[in-house]
Amino acid sequence: MQDSLVKDRQMFDVFRIDETIAEHEFVNPIRVIRGEKLSHVGTERTADNRDLGKPQPVQQKRQMVRQPVCIRVCGIVNTADSALAGQTKHRLVEDLASLNLRQRIILWEVRLPDALIALAVGAALGLAGVEAQTILNNPLASPFTLGVSSAAVLGASVAIVLAPSVTFLPEAAILPALALVFALGSGMLVLAVVRFGRGARETVVLFGIALVFLCNALTAALHYIADADAIQQIVFWTFGNLTRAGWTEVWIVSACFLLLLPFSLRHVWLLTLLRGGEAHARSLGIDVSRLRTWVILRSSVLTAFAVCFVGTIGFIGLVGPHIARLLLGEDHRFLVPGAALCGALVLSLASFLSKALISGVIIPVGILTAVVGVPVLLGLLFRQRRVS
Amino acid sequence: MTSFEVANLATYYGRTQALHDVTLPRLGAGEVLGLLGPNASGKSTLMRCLSREKRSTGRILLDAVEQQTITHTRWHEQVGSMPQAPPAPSDLMPTELMWSTARALAINLSDAELAAKIEQVFVRLGLETVALAPLHTLSGGKRQLVGLALALIREPALLLLDEPTAALDLHWRMAVLEMVREEVSRRGGIVIAALHDLDLAARYCDHIALLQHGRIVAAGSPEEVLTPAALAEVYHVEAEIHHAPDGSLRIDVLRPI
Repeated sequence: MQDSLVKDRQMFDVFRIDETIAEHEFVNPIRVIRGEKLSHVGTERTADNRDLGKPQPVQQKRQMVRQPVCIRVCGIVNTADSALAGQTKHRLVEDLASLNLRQRIILWEVRLPDALIALAVGAALGLAGVEAQTILNNPLASPFTLGVSSAAVLGASVAIVLAPSVTFLPEAAILPALALVFALGSGMLVLAVVRFGRGARETVVLFGIALVFLCNALTAALHYIADADAIQQIVFWTFGNLTRAGWTEVWIVSACFLLLLPFSLRHVWLLTLLRGGEAHARSLGIDVSRLRTWVILRSSVLTAFAVCFVGTIGFIGLVGPHIARLLLGEDHRFLVPGAALCGALVLSLASFLSKALISGVIIPVGILTAVVGVPVLLGLLFRQRRVS
Repeated sequence: MTSFEVANLATYYGRTQALHDVTLPRLGAGEVLGLLGPNASGKSTLMRCLSREKRSTGRILLDAVEQQTITHTRWHEQVGSMPQAPPAPSDLMPTELMWSTARALAINLSDAELAAKIEQVFVRLGLETVALAPLHTLSGGKRQLVGLALALIREPALLLLDEPTAALDLHWRMAVLEMVREEVSRRGGIVIAALHDLDLAARYCDHIALLQHGRIVAAGSPEEVLTPAALAEVYHVEAEIHHAPDGSLRIDVLRPI
């Protein structure tokens, strides 16, 4: 009871700070709580402050942004405390029912979208990664070696540099839209190579890596011509940040994943068979080139949707499938859903750490994915070595 | 009654013609044809054309049905093929590979029937002890046997084997060919095997076709084809041919020419 009161009190205080900021900055409090401004450290002109004119000085904005960060961390630590204390389901339901409006807003508009986008993006990247690795027979293949992610960064950079001159789209939509268009475009280029290069997997991997270099070069060119604020925004976007997502983004990424998952599950036998070697699959009458076209199309679309809203989140597409492979083996009936689950799990862990690691700061999750993924992968590798 | 005919077959790699007017002896149920020839003579290319992996011109008729007039899937329902390279040394187990192959090819067997079928094939090929071992832990020979098991899972009317004995020891070279012979004579199927071992070819094949530079140099029974003159021309070796007490041919290769 005492705990509950303390928690309520904390929540109340926390929200009061939020309201103050919101009032002070003439912005919608819900958007502040959702952390939309958190992702734009310093410089981005959001839809809310568009009319205020030029971007405000970085220092002033950073101050403004820090407070909601504290709020979020407090809440998350609270939630984690409750979970660790072993609260029953019954108690949780009671808690949910007893939340006041402000607490509900924090829960529904901040925490849940964050947690769900971590699951959706992690699952999408894990699925895209396992399919790319199998179809290209390359353990280093991931959605990123196909150039999709670099193209998304290029699209985002173009959006950030050109945003002020584009008037026919809402400003908040330009960045993800262009990132998505560029990512899908690069996916189509890879598909064209699969189709016209007769599906040779080495050609596909080489072209993907060439595409990565090309997109990086073009992004560097944009860095060269962009002003300091834009460069900072581009760099921040490449860190990857789940707090950019709201419910719309959660629905879009989840829908994309759930729509494509059945197609992946339909191919699990074929993908398993392919691990026996392409020559055998072809000799058994499997149209490997056609299968490769479908799988790379799926992988590209999943990656494009996963990264366009939250920015570059590396490593999940690589490590998720490897963790699943170590745990579940090569049978793709288990490996495909397993890789999606592992991707979701690792990204959720990284997302939790990004908020809990340093008090008062949300570290962009893209920075932490490798920090979480490498120890997990190493642990499994050493365990497997001991067993064998 | 199964029959297989190949006539006037030609194919290209880019602008280079790889096969020239290849015509094979007509094969009936239970018969085995051995394709012989030195490296790069076109054996594997011919096998790929027969399995429809590579486009070709000419006539390929299985049970009087032209290869190009039926769908890819329909053709592969009747034709099992084993490529030269054994399955890749992945973490996959032979059992998983067999199950995924059977299900990917939509073989119409219940789980219990398929399990029994896979076990039967594994026992015949001596793979039952390694059925649950990852492929990368298996020797090249065992993996080659797994490759053969894959080709046999569908009980094809036409079985195409590209150097099936290359990685096998003395026992399994003969055991595999004996098993394949027995299998096709029981079911009335046809086997075409590309081989390097002349003794094995002479012992287990009803017909032999000798290839050189993408052309058929000689085709017919082992006695007709395997002559010292033909071996000197195609393989550039001096050889003596003997008849063993059991009636089969023995080829003694004496020296390169």
